[in-house]
Amino acid sequence: MIDVRGLTKRYGSKTAVDDVTFTVHPGKVTGFLGPNGAGKSTTMRVIVGLDRPTHGSVTVNGRPYAQHHSPLREVGILLDAKAVHTGRSAYNHLRAMAATHHIPASRVDEVIEMTGLQSVAKKRVGGFSLGMGQRLGIASALLGDPKTLILDEPVNGLDPEGVLWVRNLVRYLASEGRTVFLSSHLMSEMAVTADHLIVVGRGKLIADAPVSQVLAQASGTTVRVRSPQATQLVELLQGPGVTVSSTEPGLMEITGSTAVLIGEAAARAQLVLHELTPVVSSLEDAYMALTKDDVEYHSTTSGIHPDHAGAHADAPTSSEPDGANR
Amino acid sequence: MSTTTQHTGAHAGAVESPSRGARLGFGGVIASEWIKFRTVRSTVWTLAITLVVMVGLSLLVAFGVTSAMDSSHANPADTGLPGSVIVTLGYYFAQMTIAVLGVLTITGEYSTGMIRSTLAAVPRRLPALWAKALVLAASTAVVSAVGIGLAYLVTRPMLSSHGMAVDLGDRTTQRVLIGCVLYLVAIALLGFAIGAVLRHSAASIATVLGVMLLLPILVLVIGNWVSWVRDLGPYMPTTAGERIMSTSTAVQAGSSGGGAGSSSGPTPLAPWTGLGLLAGYVVAVLTLAAVMLRRRDA
Repeated sequence: MIDVRGLTKRYGSKTAVDDVTFTVHPGKVTGFLGPNGAGKSTTMRVIVGLDRPTHGSVTVNGRPYAQHHSPLREVGILLDAKAVHTGRSAYNHLRAMAATHHIPASRVDEVIEMTGLQSVAKKRVGGFSLGMGQRLGIASALLGDPKTLILDEPVNGLDPEGVLWVRNLVRYLASEGRTVFLSSHLMSEMAVTADHLIVVGRGKLIADAPVSQVLAQASGTTVRVRSPQATQLVELLQGPGVTVSSTEPGLMEITGSTAVLIGEAAARAQLVLHELTPVVSSLEDAYMALTKDDVEYHSTTSGIHPDHAGAHADAPTSSEPDGANR
Repeated sequence: MSTTTQHTGAHAGAVESPSRGARLGFGGVIASEWIKFRTVRSTVWTLAITLVVMVGLSLLVAFGVTSAMDSSHANPADTGLPGSVIVTLGYYFAQMTIAVLGVLTITGEYSTGMIRSTLAAVPRRLPALWAKALVLAASTAVVSAVGIGLAYLVTRPMLSSHGMAVDLGDRTTQRVLIGCVLYLVAIALLGFAIGAVLRHSAASIATVLGVMLLLPILVLVIGNWVSWVRDLGPYMPTTAGERIMSTSTAVQAGSSGGGAGSSSGPTPLAPWTGLGLLAGYVVAVLTLAAVMLRRRDA
């Protein structure tokens, strides 16, 4: 159980995490999803006390991480694959970590076997590939047989077989009643691995819901509309919660309304529609829709990108046409 | 603080997995730091070089001094180099490798990111710092003692045949030999503390070597014009610390800027006062390092 309450973390003038509150429950895999730089790693570092929160509090299994008598038995952490001295062998690294908690050497051998590191365990970590580094990080996280696992981008750098392995491992660990909290910037990975999603974007909490619900919410309400009288139609449809995005003249993506409502509104005003399609988004689209945050197109004239669009990250903006044409 | 719920939570957790009684403790942290200390190459290299320079230099000087005595038929007293000084003077070069070792013990963790693993395992942080310091100090003490011991053994035939044998029963000799070990331990911890504050290998090595070697020279040079700067001379960290190895008959060979031999300079500190002052500097920087370790993000 991880409890994050009103967490804010600033580095100088930059706010990495902005008043985020959520709880990660045991017995299921909770995905921590967000684009790079959304504050995922920062949040995870604060949870295990590596970074001090500017405001707010974090507890793990009922108390701040540092106040546990056996931190490694409470929480296993994979922060990033590079939290290891490159001059030391994987085996010696694990032995040194284990020694702090009097964890026996037999457990070191166990986690080396579990993570498939036998052949490279005596080699210096400096020569490891990213994938091997990830496996070592996961081995390190498993050392204390912890009740809670925090894994930051565990599938980064892994080959498909490794990705599958991590997926099965975290699902198994959760099925044993452990708390599993893993971050990713890949929605597709989260959709098959996680039960619950916590989505952040630019330091803010965007969603905290079961995976199925996040997908339904994000994908269910977009309607693609093609009309030569787009401008008039947009004026008709405007209202609270309705946003219109446009990628080419006469083509709009409308969220916050339904095909039924749009069709009826167009009929009443005697506007011509060339297309009226409820869009079933792909997972990535759902994710884009969630994380684009305030990248919204309030333009009433089609085909014109509002001024503020340029201020946002390239990824959501540039992929908009792809999503629309898919 | 809802103490009741917290306690039940912790208790339930303990019951949940009784298989391993693993628990974080200072003994474990020391064991961990010892494993870390001896499983990186920099430790092996710096300590090996330390031994080589300590023994090699003693051997070289003993050979030089005794050959000079053979050709000039001089008395042992005329050389100005008692046996105890000859077996310890390797410290002058050893202190550099030892200081570098002290720095790398901590900055190696920052440059590789290992510090995050360390502090995640020991989230209260300070035990890890103290354990590291302890392992470093103990290892330095053992290696420098072995270095002096070896230097004593290899120079013994030459020195005793010239009436310069090291008299282990002599009080001054004992102070010089033990003092040399303590001095090197202090230097290791100075490097360690500076490394813990700066967290960067190159910057820390430059700083500690600057403090050790450059500072006394600077004070000496500037002291030529500014008298109050000259009076600071004896209080420079290494100048003060090196006093523990001074003998009544001689200036410590290689001593950088130590004013022991110059009649016009400021009065040098008493041996133990000098070492005490160096220890004071070390404690001050180490305290700063501890405070910063507690406060900073890792």
